[in-house]
Amino acid sequence: MRPADPRLVLLLIALAGVLAFVLPGHATTLLTEALILALFALSLDLLVGHARLTSFGHAGPWALGAYLAGAMMLSWGVPLPFAVLLAGLGTAALAIPIGWLCVRTGGVTFAMLSLAFAQLGYAVVVKWNAVTGGSDGLAGIPRAGLPDVLAGREGYHLLVAVFLAAAYLVAHGFITSPLGRIVAAVRENEQRAEALGHDPRRIRLTVFVLSYFLAGIAGALYAGFAGYVSPELFFWTVSGHVLVMVILGGAGTLIGPMLGALVFFYAEHELSALTESWGLFLGLLFILVVIFAPRGLMGLVRRTS
Amino acid sequence: MDPLTLFTLQTLNALSLSALLFFISLGLTLIFGIMRVVNFAHGALFMLGAYVGVATQTASGSFLLSLIAAPLAAAVLGLAFERCALSRLYAREHSAFLLVTFGLALALTEAIRLIWGADARQAELPDSLSGIVFVMDEPFPIYRLLLIGAGLACALLCWAGLQRTRLGLLLRAASQNPTMTAALGNDVGRVRAAVFAMACALAALGGALAAPLLSASLGLGSNVIIDAFVIVMIGGMGSFLGTAAGSLLVGFAQTFGNYYAPELALGMTYALMIAVLVVRPGGLFGRVE
Amino acid sequence: MTQRIARRPLAALLAAPALVGVGTARAQGQPLKIGVPTAMTGTWAALGSQVVRSCRLWQKAMNAEGGLLGRPIEFLFEDTQGTPANCLRKAQEMVERDRVNILLGLMASSEALAVMPKLAEWNALFISSVNGAGSITAESWVPNAFRANTSGPMGARALALWLRNSPQTDFFSLSLDYSWGRSSVETFEGLLRGIGKRSIGNVFAPVGTRDYSSFITRVRQANPQALYIALTGDDGTAFLRQAAQYRLFERMPVVTETVDMLFTRPAGEAAIGLVGGSRYSFAYDIPANNTFVSRFRAEYNDLPDTYDGEQWQACEVLAAAIRKAGSTETPQVVAALRDLELNSIKGPLKIRACDGQAEQQGFVVRVARREGFPYPVPDVISTFTAAEVTPACRASNFT
Repeated sequence: MRPADPRLVLLLIALAGVLAFVLPGHATTLLTEALILALFALSLDLLVGHARLTSFGHAGPWALGAYLAGAMMLSWGVPLPFAVLLAGLGTAALAIPIGWLCVRTGGVTFAMLSLAFAQLGYAVVVKWNAVTGGSDGLAGIPRAGLPDVLAGREGYHLLVAVFLAAAYLVAHGFITSPLGRIVAAVRENEQRAEALGHDPRRIRLTVFVLSYFLAGIAGALYAGFAGYVSPELFFWTVSGHVLVMVILGGAGTLIGPMLGALVFFYAEHELSALTESWGLFLGLLFILVVIFAPRGLMGLVRRTS
Repeated sequence: MDPLTLFTLQTLNALSLSALLFFISLGLTLIFGIMRVVNFAHGALFMLGAYVGVATQTASGSFLLSLIAAPLAAAVLGLAFERCALSRLYAREHSAFLLVTFGLALALTEAIRLIWGADARQAELPDSLSGIVFVMDEPFPIYRLLLIGAGLACALLCWAGLQRTRLGLLLRAASQNPTMTAALGNDVGRVRAAVFAMACALAALGGALAAPLLSASLGLGSNVIIDAFVIVMIGGMGSFLGTAAGSLLVGFAQTFGNYYAPELALGMTYALMIAVLVVRPGGLFGRVE
Repeated sequence: MTQRIARRPLAALLAAPALVGVGTARAQGQPLKIGVPTAMTGTWAALGSQVVRSCRLWQKAMNAEGGLLGRPIEFLFEDTQGTPANCLRKAQEMVERDRVNILLGLMASSEALAVMPKLAEWNALFISSVNGAGSITAESWVPNAFRANTSGPMGARALALWLRNSPQTDFFSLSLDYSWGRSSVETFEGLLRGIGKRSIGNVFAPVGTRDYSSFITRVRQANPQALYIALTGDDGTAFLRQAAQYRLFERMPVVTETVDMLFTRPAGEAAIGLVGGSRYSFAYDIPANNTFVSRFRAEYNDLPDTYDGEQWQACEVLAAAIRKAGSTETPQVVAALRDLELNSIKGPLKIRACDGQAEQQGFVVRVARREGFPYPVPDVISTFTAAEVTPACRASNFT
């Protein structure tokens, strides 16, 4: 699928950012969280959509980023923007060995390997009580080192929008770069790419690390947003949800997964406020979307336009 | 308790756990082997089996009847789902199945809550099954021995079915090469529907068998599915032998791990899976996809 | 623009007297909104449904009497699925959108711990009815949080006091490997030393354990004179059923921090003989409780369970504080909650000012078959005073 015009996407993100000054407070808070999830889904799209590596363990880098940033801000008062970047880098560093083991495989094996690493992360966090707070998690994480303007509700929302825009540019830049094209080539025909002198494992590892980096950033922003991290962030249901966001929106389009994140998040939130049986309706909705919108919501958008 | 008694008891414990795990993962691997579908709803089907089993037993007073009703209900549901949803998707990418079975899991879990409520449900085992036998002077529940037997019987039946019957031949053929099988005049669509229904029935039978140990509750589904995934991956997706081996491996690792190293038990099965997949990406008995 | 600015003072002047009049009339007639972000689906759904139905019953009773300070009660229930991220979002929305300043019914301790640091910023208060973790009134305490329910350490303490006279001296502990289980076992082991008994070991099962056979074997191998378990919900049910199948209870009595029909009922016959602390039971023979139980049974045709009673008590604490404050504003209600005294369904109760814990009696119950009940139910075997079971201020153990 042809990627959407990046200027349009940036405009949409800017709009979402500015909405903070229009919307009532509670709606802004919701939208902030939705944008963080959009960044999370965007990071997964690099793997799922672009490299066709269906990760089922993306909760791993998300939670790792959240814990790293949370611990840095809580224990040492590292200013939030640095903590977020450092958390992203830390996640990326860990992604190198993990990715090296995972990207050798593909398909379901890759999905399950990534899941296993995320679950291992869960086990480590629960057991390493002294550092991670065990099953209670870390509470009272400050938005350290931010001027009051940015630490407030609207300010933080803008900060998140800026990070989302930057992440989108990085992701878009990557897939349109020569390296990004090689990734696509490896995805379409591994043998031929190999014959042209590319090492598929290395190429896939690059995407893997970049994806983990961005997911780590998203998690770190979440830690600053919620002021709280807990082992539940690692749980496999989180991986399932973000994967659903990507597929729902339309994998491989960057913008699709971001929209998918918004739709999933708001659908669950609004439905669960309306009825206790939200699961029933959300489940049926997914089934209908798959059957009647083969390329996700983006496919639907394209078809009507 | 002397070391030999301890070892014997723990082996029996591990075997009974393996038997339960086998019921859940066998269906998962069948679905994958024949249909290339990762079924996220498998845990919810296991839970459905537990609820239908308990409800049947409460209504009829017969435990045996619950072991028939649970798989039957799940098979009917599975068949309907395959015909209405999955069958439209076979030409599509893998991810479609992920989303659609995830949707089924969500909807089914909520439907169960609507029907049976949020409280856990239970039914007592009949007297004939709630007794004990003495294994080297230590009491051991008869029901667990029955589980081991049921697991073994299921394994042998399925094995014989796959190797000796025409349906089994067809299944193996469809698993190896669906296009060719269809070209030879076989109705692959029907095979798929049958397999999906059968796999759902197996999961539900597992649920009904587990109910006397666990009672039927809403958390059942999400707990069990990860173990099943691990087993299927370790054994090799779509491999019958692999699933049997994987069930044993995970059953023994959990039972003995919980005894000797409970501190490490939480991460152990995942570490085991990583180790196997790194050395053999296709699993112990599987082919590389 | 300029026009609007110019008009504003005039408009304000005109509107001001009217607004004041409307304002008070409104405050009187307007419903008092109380936020209950609780787990209605997911693993904790059974507990959440108790919280919800008890709130509904209380709402009905209060509104029949004309509400609180002349205002009808209105609950906002939202499903959190028992996860901190959802709970935080729903609570925040209640505070910011619906102007709720009172939160009740938070389910998992991790949810409460996520929400509590935000209370000051939200200018909201929270009264716990479910959360047992000692830390909530100790290291994680915040001024706007209160605990109407019996905490985990209080349940363990009541049990330990009862065990003073038991013949058993060697205990073994089994729990799941997470905060509540670990702290419960730690507290109990400390208490054992205090009553001249000893712990001969413990084991923590990984979270998510469903097959307890290996742990049952471990307990038998350790061969203690009694077993302490800190397991609840599905875990408690699964353990009791399996332990009964292995005839473990014929070897040793089993005691626990909190007996809850939620897990003893599905355990069926397997729960008979289980002794433990109790946070609430329909079996407390206190006039206020008997009234509550008959009212509850008339409404739901079911016995009130632990969190039905605890939630009812938390609602009563809130009502008493609001009446005492004569206001529903956060600072006034918080001030009124400090040192608040009332007679509740569990007897006399006092919210102490230093950490918000409700000092209340401690009960020890035994699960038994009783006339007129289709399944084994708890029976009170001992009662202790608040002074005996409540830990020191901001402490979660008794050393």
